[in-house]
Amino acid sequence: MQRTGPAGWQNDLTPITPSDWNYEFASHLLERAGFGGAPEEIQTLARLTPEAAVRRLVYFQNIPNDLPAFDHSGVHDPGLEPFPESRPAVTKLAKEKGEALGIKVKPGGDRPLQPIVNKFFYWLRASVIETQRVAYWWANRMVATRRPLEEKMALFWHGHFAVNEAKVRDYRKTLGQLELFHKHGTGNFRDLMVAVAKDPAMLSFLDAGVNVKGAPNENFAREIMELFTMGVGNYSEKDIREAARAFTGWNYVDLTFVVNKDRHDSGPKTFLGSTGNFDGVDVIDIILKQPVTARFIAGKVYRFFVRQELAPEMQERLGALIRNSDYKIAPLLEAIFLSRDFYSPASVGTQIKSPIQLAISTFKKLGLKEAPGVPDFNVATGALGQRLFSPPTVAGWAEGRAWVTPGLLLERGNFARDILFPDINFLPSDRYNGAADIRTVAVKIRQGLDISTATMPDRGGETGLAESNMLADRDEDFNTRYGSFRGWQMAIEKVKPIPRQAARIDLSRMVADAGLKNTTEVVDYFVRRFMRVAPADEKRRILTSFLDGELRTSDIAVAKTYMEDSLRLLLHLIMSEPEYQLS
Amino acid sequence: MKSQFTRREVLRAGLYGVGIGAAGIVPVPPLFASTAQALGAQISNNGRILVVLELSGGNDGLNTLVPYADDAYYRLRPKIGIRAGSLRKIDEHFGFSSGMAGFERLYKEGTLAVVHGCGYENPSFSHFTSMAYWHTAAPNRGDEYGWVGRAADAISPKAPPNFLVNIDTRQSLAVRSRVHTPLVFDDPNKFTRDGFYEERDVFARVADPGGVENPSRRYLLDIARSAKSASALVKEAWAKYKSPVDYGITGLDLPKVAALIDAGLPARLYYTSYRNNAFDTHVFQGDVHQRILTYTSDAVSAFMQDLKRIGRADDVAVMIFSEFGRRVPENTSLGTDHGAANLMFVAGGKVKGGHYGKIPSLTNLDAGDNLVYTTDFRRVYATMISGWLGFQDAPAILNGKFETFDMFV
Repeated sequence: MQRTGPAGWQNDLTPITPSDWNYEFASHLLERAGFGGAPEEIQTLARLTPEAAVRRLVYFQNIPNDLPAFDHSGVHDPGLEPFPESRPAVTKLAKEKGEALGIKVKPGGDRPLQPIVNKFFYWLRASVIETQRVAYWWANRMVATRRPLEEKMALFWHGHFAVNEAKVRDYRKTLGQLELFHKHGTGNFRDLMVAVAKDPAMLSFLDAGVNVKGAPNENFAREIMELFTMGVGNYSEKDIREAARAFTGWNYVDLTFVVNKDRHDSGPKTFLGSTGNFDGVDVIDIILKQPVTARFIAGKVYRFFVRQELAPEMQERLGALIRNSDYKIAPLLEAIFLSRDFYSPASVGTQIKSPIQLAISTFKKLGLKEAPGVPDFNVATGALGQRLFSPPTVAGWAEGRAWVTPGLLLERGNFARDILFPDINFLPSDRYNGAADIRTVAVKIRQGLDISTATMPDRGGETGLAESNMLADRDEDFNTRYGSFRGWQMAIEKVKPIPRQAARIDLSRMVADAGLKNTTEVVDYFVRRFMRVAPADEKRRILTSFLDGELRTSDIAVAKTYMEDSLRLLLHLIMSEPEYQLS
Repeated sequence: MKSQFTRREVLRAGLYGVGIGAAGIVPVPPLFASTAQALGAQISNNGRILVVLELSGGNDGLNTLVPYADDAYYRLRPKIGIRAGSLRKIDEHFGFSSGMAGFERLYKEGTLAVVHGCGYENPSFSHFTSMAYWHTAAPNRGDEYGWVGRAADAISPKAPPNFLVNIDTRQSLAVRSRVHTPLVFDDPNKFTRDGFYEERDVFARVADPGGVENPSRRYLLDIARSAKSASALVKEAWAKYKSPVDYGITGLDLPKVAALIDAGLPARLYYTSYRNNAFDTHVFQGDVHQRILTYTSDAVSAFMQDLKRIGRADDVAVMIFSEFGRRVPENTSLGTDHGAANLMFVAGGKVKGGHYGKIPSLTNLDAGDNLVYTTDFRRVYATMISGWLGFQDAPAILNGKFETFDMFV
């Protein structure tokens, strides 16, 4: 069966025809437009015409979404709003007002500010842990959905409009932003851009709240142009300053967008050659009129779904396509997924899987119905370089080769091992805090020590304590280390636990169901089921002889009752191969 | 003479820096295509090690080493300017931010060089663009390979394994090399294959990338070979490393560098960073900036102390930079926006401490209220390449001739 079209298909946007279509093409499509799948899922697409298969993925609104909504633990309360920017800001506020975070300062005694400091740390930790639950909820959607492109596109936008919970410090805002990606992901880019610009997650992340008349803060305007719409080099520093003025006064109160009229600069601005009393939406509309914007967005979508190298002439055509459809994303996706270019040798099997893609597609190919609780999805994908709601910078994740280093390649194999052979010393990161100082404080408090003694750092022996460790030892109207410990304790009481079911895997059953007779067939089946790029023939022989050695037979009928662990070793070896990282 | 630079000497030291000569650029023809062969004769083998530490996000140099004697500083930063009384003063003009006891100590013992006014013509205010210029040493242009990677290619054209180390979760553009596969890892405890005993023979065999056409696949096969050659070394080095030195709250990745140096890894180039745009202090920067400076200062000074402990302080220099400084006037959010010229630091046992380069004026700013650069940052790169690593033909690596500083004993 042809795995790719001819080399001449590269850069050819002509749609493929039903006579080109086969199981391998359908497998490639599902891999990229979704997260891959078990053979039955691929077969379903392969039986359609290419046009019908692509439309089924792109126009997914016809398929009902029967997945549950996020189940909030109930960790937020109105006293937390507006949440101050730092612990010093909280204690300063408390000293000035006699109250902060909905808690009054104690009239006297030791550490009258302690309950307030505890609550400050409580919310930081509760939001972090609840974000882990949101990420699990999303990962489970990616695994279980019947509309995979909806999730894949949301993942794309999450990298594009990258917002980090660590800065926003409110899981409700990052969840709200994800809902926008689900809602507008394949719709109109203008709707999405405006919605994102008015969304508290982005407003908070890019400090829009402090962008006020007379003193514009440029962060928001700069990133909108540089990263979200046009790319660097297509506007001047003056354009940034003028755009920043147009966004002045944009802010949020809790989860609601507001415009502070008296802080909005309503004067005339000259932006990208136009002059007027522009506000933020006007600025976005002017940006969208620039031909470079359509090219930029189309190029970024292409690189995410197809490959990193994009010929300028192709980018021009894709940009025209999106501009002519009034910035609708779905027609662009449809054209890309149907194009010969998408099935050319330059595109097939040449993408290095992102960590999220690696994890979700591994689960799906194993036939799992949900992300396993062990290993922890967030810790595992984070160690591989991509943790949901935690992109490294506002530029999102660097895709492509940046995903793999020598260290991370080994880590990918170890991840596979952790799925196939769950660690029995596993500690759940939503309950157990690995930070040494929190654990030490917990032990000392239990021993009945007073707070000052219990929070004294242990280290500093012969060479003395570093400045930062001396400074962290604050013990005055409150104790920071105690607050950090107590905040964690309060958070794990409130946040619901993440279920910790390990993956239920039955490879023996998989082999039996596929009717495989001998070890050569098993290796071929695993390679085909799990890999998009097969390893060298010599490697196949090595794997077969490995399995023969483990089973002491090549006859599956002989080995069927005892082969499970050996099959898992085989699969661990396959998933550790460099080729397994390719999609 | 170490730390006794007077203000006048500071200015004199910077006099290279006036007018056109400021940048010190004399273009040379691009030699790079044949660097590896042509320069083989000049291979430097002085055994010295360069550690580059990137402060990502644009460190506010003015609030790092504060020019407290300059009234303009307080005029332009009425709210976030750090009062003279809380600074760690190093002379009659400058003082370090209050948490930077480590830098103060290094400066006073004469092993910390401060280079003023580092930047380039037509500065970019984009983190990613400006960082790419610094990574490639190619402002307003960029390059396919990073300057540290090109230095590795030139100094060690035969590319023995583990010559170039990048400790991070992803490979930096700075270390991207034509012939070297940089050793990139983050957590040394995890830089290991968790294989079963039964699997060891299979894992021992890494496929040969030769003849593979798919470029991504070839890349992965190269990575697999590097991982195999390095993981045992790194793991063992880290397991053996035990230091009594307190690196502070984060330590950055410098204990890992110390462990590898202590274990005798052949690497001569290390690259690491304070990650995730941490220094991008647009709002309420006071506490947070002071905190991350403290972490940085703790980590760097502990690293130097640790190197002394293992007897390698004279073999190692640390160069510290950021992609840009910050706007001179504060913004209304008690923070600062993206700026231009900035400080660089070089620390090491053989470093002649003190001030280098011309101090930029706080009153004669550019149109965007930024410091006008007085030192092309590539002069510092050139100083590290030839003055420190002993590779004389720095222009071949930097695609231009840059005057070096006399910075090392």
